[in-house]
Amino acid sequence: MTVDDFRSSIDAASSDVERRPGATTERSALAAVVVPLRQVPPTYPDQRPSPGRLRQIDRAFFGPFFREKYGTGGDKALENGRIRYYGPVQPANNAGELAGRRYVHEFDTMTGCTRGWHETLDRMGNVRQVRPERPNGMMGHYQFDSNGRYKGSW
Amino acid sequence: MEVDLQAVRRVFKDVLNGHMLREQADRWAYAVVREEETGVVTYSPPRERERIWAGVMYLYGIDTMKAPNTYLHSNDDIREAMMAIVGGVGDNLASTILRALERPSQCLAVSEASVLD
Repeated sequence: MTVDDFRSSIDAASSDVERRPGATTERSALAAVVVPLRQVPPTYPDQRPSPGRLRQIDRAFFGPFFREKYGTGGDKALENGRIRYYGPVQPANNAGELAGRRYVHEFDTMTGCTRGWHETLDRMGNVRQVRPERPNGMMGHYQFDSNGRYKGSW
Repeated sequence: MEVDLQAVRRVFKDVLNGHMLREQADRWAYAVVREEETGVVTYSPPRERERIWAGVMYLYGIDTMKAPNTYLHSNDDIREAMMAIVGGVGDNLASTILRALERPSQCLAVSEASVLD
């Protein structure tokens, strides 16, 4: 499902509500004060949302807040209920196989917690280095090879 | 906390001319990001919010290294980013003119006072 499909389904759901018998007078009386909410099908408490569902929730609720700030380079919904927002790649022109870095902001929809780190990418788009932001201010660079295997840190 | 375009540009310039360490610039930007998370950052001028934020997000992580004691970004990278995001020296004049145009009432008040004198 694309964003446009999702928006269309939301619009259709809103139209259905408005077509209910008796809804016309209600609507006219409250039209000035009722702000129609975006409607998203419910998720049961014991059910972890699928990435597709998470993406729907993100588009409707969190996205406008996080995407504008951190997700100009894209975003990805994960299996574990988290959404990652990618910043633009800041190019490094004299760094050999490394193409640049980007900031990644991760939002956990289950807990509301966020965390962030800087990734260094190679020219093939592989993440070769991660530099997490730690609460104590200490930072390390964690390196990976082109196959994603951890090499070491400093 | 208020962040303006000049402050961001100044940090870029300070890094480039060696008056500020990249690590300090990174921490300055991180402080802005943290404040932004609590929603208390104001951008001046507000219409430049996107450029200011883009500048902050570039500075955040500017001290990333590709190997121990070797920065990922060259000064040329940083200079190019500064020009693209917050503009160069010539932009100061443009901003001044735009600010003056945004306050026509003050300009009018000055000219009226001049006439009365």
